[in-house]
Amino acid sequence: VTRPGSSLIVALQQVLADEHAAVYAYGVIGARLTGRARARATDDWIAHQRARDSLEATLRALGSRPAAAAVAYQMPGPIRTRREAASAAVAIEDRIAAAYLGLVGAATAALRERAALQVRAAALRAAAWRGSTVAFPGLPGGDS
Amino acid sequence: VKAEPARRALLVAAAALPLAAAGCRSIGALATPPAVAPGVRVLARAIAGEQWLVHRYQAVISGVAGRDGPRDLAGSLGPILAEHRAHLARLRARLIVPAGSAVRLAGPVPAAGAVVPASPAAAIAALRAGELRASADLLGALAGAPPSLAQLLASISASEASHVPALDRMGRAA
Repeated sequence: VTRPGSSLIVALQQVLADEHAAVYAYGVIGARLTGRARARATDDWIAHQRARDSLEATLRALGSRPAAAAVAYQMPGPIRTRREAASAAVAIEDRIAAAYLGLVGAATAALRERAALQVRAAALRAAAWRGSTVAFPGLPGGDS
Repeated sequence: VKAEPARRALLVAAAALPLAAAGCRSIGALATPPAVAPGVRVLARAIAGEQWLVHRYQAVISGVAGRDGPRDLAGSLGPILAEHRAHLARLRARLIVPAGSAVRLAGPVPAAGAVVPASPAAAIAALRAGELRASADLLGALAGAPPSLAQLLASISASEASHVPALDRMGRAA
């Protein structure tokens, strides 16, 4: 059993909190979109639910209680148009990439690779919403 | 008067001699090269991989894209090449190889693989394969890297994976 205050548990709970926020946000984003963009938002919403479930299972396996989701979250900005919905998705994915990159620094070898695969998944989703790629997903100043 | 500076230089040199001799002895005592820090080999490999990608992109941009292919292919590949150059610069900035260590940095050009495919589609397919391989290599290197280097490698690996759908779009347009 890993102690609740260990850096690994703290990092996992931080990522879980960000995944809870992402699941909430994609619900709001998807509601503003139609057609292919809406389908993409739905796919990404499901991806974040799966990631959340996986983190909760990992925390339980380590003997720690997963943090619950909040009732509501502050969105990264106003979401009135398709463009604003896409920008919100980019902001969320950038945050998720940073969160998993934090876990890459804290985790054991097996978890490190899992976390890195999630950084990659977030970078792929962010690039799809942004329409372009960045050099350093998840790092501060990721595009330089 | 003219001879004065020369004489002074000689005196300075004579005074420095015992120090030089002492220096020689201590260097002799340290004849075994210093141990290579963990992560230096990982970093050296990552740098070599990134150099390879930069050269591939340069070759395609100046070859296929400039010669007969669609001119906008060079324009589309340019931003990706810029990202690889940024990767390379960030990796190189972290590298401090102890003098006399056994780590050698790979030279920039693996000549055997440097043939540029003739058609734009084949060139893009080759770049795509290179991105996938580089991304996977970096993932494989995570376990042997100290935490902050692992974070950088994971970020670069993710960036390279995100180039694949971008190349796919260019491949459909080519």
